[in-house]
Amino acid sequence: MRAMVALTARKAPTLRTDSSWHTVASPALRGSLDALPLFIPALPFAFVFGVVVANAGIPQWLGWSSSPIIFGGAIQVTLFTLIGEGASVAAAVSAALIVGARHMLYSVALAPRFQNQPSWFRWVGSYVLIDQVFVLSQIKPIDEPVAFRRYFLAAGFTFWSLWMICTALGVVMGPAIPAEWGVEFAAPVLFVSLMMASSDRRDKLAAAALAMGLTYLLASLPNRTGILIAVISSVVVMLLLQRHRQS
Amino acid sequence: MIALAIILTGIGSYVMRAFFIFALARYSFPPLLLRALEYVAPTVMAALVVSMLTTPEGSLAAGLPELMGLICTAVAAKTTGNHILALIAGMGTFWLIGAIL
Repeated sequence: MRAMVALTARKAPTLRTDSSWHTVASPALRGSLDALPLFIPALPFAFVFGVVVANAGIPQWLGWSSSPIIFGGAIQVTLFTLIGEGASVAAAVSAALIVGARHMLYSVALAPRFQNQPSWFRWVGSYVLIDQVFVLSQIKPIDEPVAFRRYFLAAGFTFWSLWMICTALGVVMGPAIPAEWGVEFAAPVLFVSLMMASSDRRDKLAAAALAMGLTYLLASLPNRTGILIAVISSVVVMLLLQRHRQS
Repeated sequence: MIALAIILTGIGSYVMRAFFIFALARYSFPPLLLRALEYVAPTVMAALVVSMLTTPEGSLAAGLPELMGLICTAVAAKTTGNHILALIAGMGTFWLIGAIL
């Protein structure tokens, strides 16, 4: 515990937001508290989801059931957008899964941290592995297995509970929010914020800039497959640059 | 049919998240791969931002309010390290410039 507190303290530059509770609170409490500010930008997304469900003509309860079954905002929105446009089940499901394919990268990146964990945590932790939880686990590296597990589950299930409540409100109230407010702009704002938080070194920021450029060039590829190609190519370029600099 | 689509997507997205966590549970990661994985978070976030700002045809779907909003978000996130302040800066700039234009 002491060692972990020391570790968190040493990472100070990326943790400037942390107030005093951060050094005293339990990993579970910290996980929940770190999740809260990241959920606020997801709120408008829950209402966007509600609008998509209404436009697709899907019963509210059936639309909402995708929240516990799928638990992934962009995947749920893609699925119902395509169903609303009259796509076949096979087409809608495969497009939604391609949109969610980045989770495979998260699965690889977190595999080392899941190695010294009990197998129940692999089953349960995978269920709540979403963008925000992944980034939190990357910007707050916790080496102690029990503390990591508590932090991860607390952050994950805080998001989970809030997403269940807010998508329920979203399917009921979403269609009443005026489109001209542009509240869905909170989504790119959140991801820029997460990008900056996870770029604690200059080379990571360079990798992010490269990925932005490549994604733009590949934006016309079907089902946003450009995202994965851009990510993998920029990681490879960064590794080649590292090697070049060392030799 | 819609229920079937939800269940299939649910199974698929769970398998994508769990697959490597289980498949690599006993794999010893070479240092090169560990270094590569450090870039996953920043690059995926960057790619998501751009994909949200482009149309499926590949053209930019963002004007001055969006671009200025995101620049202010990035600056606020970097200088304060606080996601709420970054959100306020980004949405504030977006709404302000949108109202002026």
